[in-house]
Amino acid sequence: MSMSQDTENFEQLRRLLAVKRHEQPPPRYFNDFSHHVIQRIKAGQRRTEGSFLDRLFDEAPWLQRVWGAFESQPILAGVCGVAVCGLLIGGVLFSDRAEVSPIVLVPGMETASTDQAQVTMAENPLFAKPVAVEPSSTSPISTARTDEMLLGDFAKLKAQPASFNFPGGN
Amino acid sequence: MIMTEPVSREASKPPDEPAQDSPAAPVPPEEMELVRRARKGDLSAYDDLVRRYQERIYATVYHMTSNHEDANDLAQEAFIKAYQALRTFKGGSSFYTWIYRIAVNKTINFLKQRKNKAQMSLDDLDFNAEHDPDLVALISEKTPRREAGLAELQEKLNEAMQKLSEPHRLVVTLHDVQGLSHEEIAKIMECNIGTVRSRLHYARQQLQAYLSDYLK
Repeated sequence: MSMSQDTENFEQLRRLLAVKRHEQPPPRYFNDFSHHVIQRIKAGQRRTEGSFLDRLFDEAPWLQRVWGAFESQPILAGVCGVAVCGLLIGGVLFSDRAEVSPIVLVPGMETASTDQAQVTMAENPLFAKPVAVEPSSTSPISTARTDEMLLGDFAKLKAQPASFNFPGGN
Repeated sequence: MIMTEPVSREASKPPDEPAQDSPAAPVPPEEMELVRRARKGDLSAYDDLVRRYQERIYATVYHMTSNHEDANDLAQEAFIKAYQALRTFKGGSSFYTWIYRIAVNKTINFLKQRKNKAQMSLDDLDFNAEHDPDLVALISEKTPRREAGLAELQEKLNEAMQKLSEPHRLVVTLHDVQGLSHEEIAKIMECNIGTVRSRLHYARQQLQAYLSDYLK
């Protein structure tokens, strides 16, 4: 088949294919097309939002039963709502009261007032009583003044610059 | 056999296909604005985009399936998928090329999965078909079956189209029916222009053989 015949036949085919360009969908079909697309997009978005609940119900089937009970008996939902609110308010009030009460550090101070609490530090056996420690044969450094170092002389401690003199050193 | 392109684009370009509608045309700024708004979830902006391209996308899918109901579903699904994937649209190509590619891929996947040959559900021919000079000449002079009406011609043509493989049918649809250039088709099909030309030539030869009774 020569090129000219080939081209001519394709030209006839091109004319025949013109039929396809005259095929048209029903009248007003495109008037609603975009509306259907947008509706399907919105429906898909709603399904995506709903699928979170579905996943939750799959994880906890009891939740689905509770949800069903709430849907069938709205008064039950109301009662549960009131109970939850009551618990919440009670919890808030209780936490407020707990913040007001003093913090008890030492046993036996539950009834002490603030003034008493200031003077009991010295009376506390942990801080006030001198600890008698005998020199140990394994520890030549005496620990007899440990209590004074901890509490009594604590305020007297001062930072002093250290200087080291090495004999013959440079 | 060396396959060459015997028919230039100008010769095969449908007269009713405006040049500014081609995917290679510069993207209008208002379209980019619509894409930007749609990407942020503005459905009214996306509605505008759908209205711009719905006819061409539907037509492409319809010519590939020869079935109105399938074309309706696939075209809608293509637009829905495009909306869902809009965040991945970088603007490297025009929105038109991008949505075209989605619709074409969706349609080809559908046709591959469709095991049995589906019943054709053809759209009606518009009023202008009876007055199209090409068709009038073809029926009254060239066709040996002079009694063949337009409806019969339409059915035979669609049957012949359905005998082509999907890539060959797509090339004929995009080039000879919708009037896209080789370059535009190459972008949509993500292949080179030589492949488009060779596929087009082969598809025409196939169609010519199937429709030989109407082309003598």
